[in-house]
Amino acid sequence: MFGQSVGSHRPSVGGPDDPSPQPYSSPYARRPKPFGIVPNRTNLRCTKPENPSAARSPGSSLPVAAPRVIRLHQVEKRFARVHAVRGVSLEIHAGQVVGVLGPNGAGKTTTIRMIAGLLPPSAGVVSVNGLDSVADSRGLRAQMGYMPESSPLYPEMKVGSYLRYRAGLYAIRGRDRRAAVDRVIDRCHLAEARDRRIGTLSKGYRQRVGLASALLHDPPVVILDEPTSGLDPSQVVETRSLIRELSGKRTMLVVSHILPEVERTCDRIVVFARGKVRADGAPAELVSRHSGGGWRCAVEVRGAAPVGAGGSIGVPGALASLTGVSRVEATATNDRWTRCVLAFEGVHEDPRPAIHAACVRAGLELRELRHATASLEEFYIRLIESADAEHAETGGVKP
Amino acid sequence: MRPLLTIALRELASYFRASIGWVVVAAFVLIAGLTVAFTTIRPGEPATMRDFFSLSHWLLLMIAPAISMRLLSEEFRSGTIEPLMTSPLSDWQTAIGKYLGGLMFLLVMLLPTLAHVAVLEWVADPDYGPIAAGYIGLVMVGMLYLAVGLFMSSLTANQIVAYLGTLFFFLILFFAASQGARLVGPPWDAYLMAAAPGPRIEDFARGVIDTRHVVFFTAISAWFVVGAVVSLESRRWR
Repeated sequence: MFGQSVGSHRPSVGGPDDPSPQPYSSPYARRPKPFGIVPNRTNLRCTKPENPSAARSPGSSLPVAAPRVIRLHQVEKRFARVHAVRGVSLEIHAGQVVGVLGPNGAGKTTTIRMIAGLLPPSAGVVSVNGLDSVADSRGLRAQMGYMPESSPLYPEMKVGSYLRYRAGLYAIRGRDRRAAVDRVIDRCHLAEARDRRIGTLSKGYRQRVGLASALLHDPPVVILDEPTSGLDPSQVVETRSLIRELSGKRTMLVVSHILPEVERTCDRIVVFARGKVRADGAPAELVSRHSGGGWRCAVEVRGAAPVGAGGSIGVPGALASLTGVSRVEATATNDRWTRCVLAFEGVHEDPRPAIHAACVRAGLELRELRHATASLEEFYIRLIESADAEHAETGGVKP
Repeated sequence: MRPLLTIALRELASYFRASIGWVVVAAFVLIAGLTVAFTTIRPGEPATMRDFFSLSHWLLLMIAPAISMRLLSEEFRSGTIEPLMTSPLSDWQTAIGKYLGGLMFLLVMLLPTLAHVAVLEWVADPDYGPIAAGYIGLVMVGMLYLAVGLFMSSLTANQIVAYLGTLFFFLILFFAASQGARLVGPPWDAYLMAAAPGPRIEDFARGVIDTRHVVFFTAISAWFVVGAVVSLESRRWR
């Protein structure tokens, strides 16, 4: 029943030039269809696209020769008094691992729930492999492996029974079911826990069970909502490497609050704030965009300069007047040295010799001079602050 | 159909994985056994199970809401509804699968009471027609109680609220049919009496299988199952 219904779906969005691939059919469906060409991330990076002008996804440095898998067009979601998602448009291509970031209430979980087919949009179009989330909701859900936040499971069931039950929901049966369960148990390192009750498992194991159940039907799209929430550091590292292992041919969306995790795991980051997409691109690209595309140098010189307005530390004049300096942040260290971060936006030549020469000329005692890379955290905080400021200016209703 | 059965069988198994299933079956079998022992298996009594069937529908009124209260409420409370609603099942399959699971548990619960029939056969010569009709009546009323329970369970994440909602619904219905009918008088009393399951159950207990009663129980149960499906679907839009 399931296999037939999925196989009968036709792409309903995007029009005739929609580059979405044919609807996915589970390998366990009665009439299996091949995936078609689904390049992995390595292929994506190496493939030279035919049309360079259309070769990159918006806001991303990733080539997009791969077919478009997830498409959101002007998506809105309103609840009774809350406008949770406001005009979000997004395209995600096969094989991408996309990190979805944002503060609480930013609209990211609502957006992924719409992509997962759990919620319909109030306006706009959400489609996965050409299947509309409203018109072809069941077909869309068949292509999706979704692990909700905190991985809700039935505590009274054993791991093996639970996975067999989940396989049954995807109409995987008989020998296929045994093979699918064995595969995900092996993949998610659950062999030891197979005969244990879920209620007796540690949080890390429960997350793995949730992940295993999301992978049972070998979906082309996997969505993980806060996969490392509540895990200890070693479990976080394990889960992170598991996500990297699993990505391969799959398109993955990872929702997280933990920036280093997203930076290390994902090819692309989408930042939500106040119901809108505020940034979209490769982690390095976003950080470099934040740093203005130029250099940032950290300098420590002796002696705290006079205190400026707002409790800030004054910047030594020799540094502030350097050619190309666009922004300086100064702080006092505990041992009364001054640490300055100098931003040289649009400057591509290494400014460190000039900084050193300026210190020598001004007689400033120098103990550190290094290239300071901007962090994703700085970028993220600045972005959220600007979104909040924009919201305050427009007097908008809290999303 | 298969995913629907998968849900139903998981539901059935979950009653026995938790203590609630064993407690409910044990309590029902004990009370039903005592009823048969003290009312039927006595010298000079007719070889019928009429008293058992008359009492059982009141017992079911207490027990069926306990069976149905967790069907959807527990999924909402624990968050397991999310993976369920993102699997490629229709909300119909989810709701009917849950309902079937509850119904299967009810049948499993009634199964040990067949021992009473065996005892009756051993000590007397019972007429099997009224006994079969009585069991059909019990299943019918169980279907109704479970359908209303499923609907109540689809409205809340709190199992106690779902239990009390179902119980009070029927208590009010019984009260309205008995006392309300007297108050309103003709012609409205006929409608109130027709809405009451009590007299219909008595007919089954006497061995009367009236198609009107069968249609009543089946149709009202179907309405409440449809209500549960609509309630489940509406969660996607809230």
